[in-house]
Amino acid sequence: MTVDELLEHGFEAVSLPDGSREIDGVYIGDLLSWVMGRAQMDNAWITIMTNVNTIAVASLADTSCVILAEGVEMEHDLIETAQQKDVNILRSSKPIYETAVQLHELLA
Amino acid sequence: MKELSLNILDVAENSVKAGASLTQILLTEQGNVLTLEIVDDGCGMSEDIVRSVTDPFYTTRTTRKVGMGIPLLKLACEQTDGSLAISSVTQESDPVNHGTHVTATFHTDHIDFTPLGDVSASVLTLIQGHPDTDFLFRHQRDGKSVELDTRELREVLEDVPLNSYDVMEWIRGSLQEQYEMLS
Repeated sequence: MTVDELLEHGFEAVSLPDGSREIDGVYIGDLLSWVMGRAQMDNAWITIMTNVNTIAVASLADTSCVILAEGVEMEHDLIETAQQKDVNILRSSKPIYETAVQLHELLA
Repeated sequence: MKELSLNILDVAENSVKAGASLTQILLTEQGNVLTLEIVDDGCGMSEDIVRSVTDPFYTTRTTRKVGMGIPLLKLACEQTDGSLAISSVTQESDPVNHGTHVTATFHTDHIDFTPLGDVSASVLTLIQGHPDTDFLFRHQRDGKSVELDTRELREVLEDVPLNSYDVMEWIRGSLQEQYEMLS
């Protein structure tokens, strides 16, 4: 499944410079240094952290997209940074667990 | 990072990389405010670089000179309503008094305060990895303090390397004993 395809399932695009990226697995975490060493390339990464380091970690780990759960907002400046750095960011209004369950069903 | 001690280790490594002969790691607790200072006499950074080191994208280039240490330290203090400040003097601008001074303040009663963790272990790791540079570690709380100055050890030890087993064990024991007095 691609990042673009998630938009048909209630996910909202925050930054979508490369929606054609294929999603392979999911990682969940908010402690950025922890995520940096553990998220795998092409994972969809579910988090509630919305600072500039989130974008840097997504870029370093080369995740297919960041999914902001709980409907958390990201500042406009950061959205611009994400676009410049080619980082896909989606948003879900659901809590983390429900977001993960939904992804599990979609990716199955 | 999971513990501030890991963050301290990461940032102090930047000081060593900057060619510091002395790196000071100073922790001061006053009420609910913890101040962390990492002070070195390394080559220093230009104003432009000082501005960019808190930007994680400066550090994530393939030719990165420093890690994510500073951006994550900034995050760790800001999420407790604290702040991070960096001042630096380059070797070119002042051949005598140059170096970098990182100051991070934390509100330890904030729910998002990252635990300090095992700072002694970080100090030991630094000495182990860089036995030829000096470190001054001081942790002050309520008028009491834990202190280790490798310059003093070096004077007594003469030619014995700081990272030899016996010296490391002595340092470990000394820090542990001082921490017991502090708490």
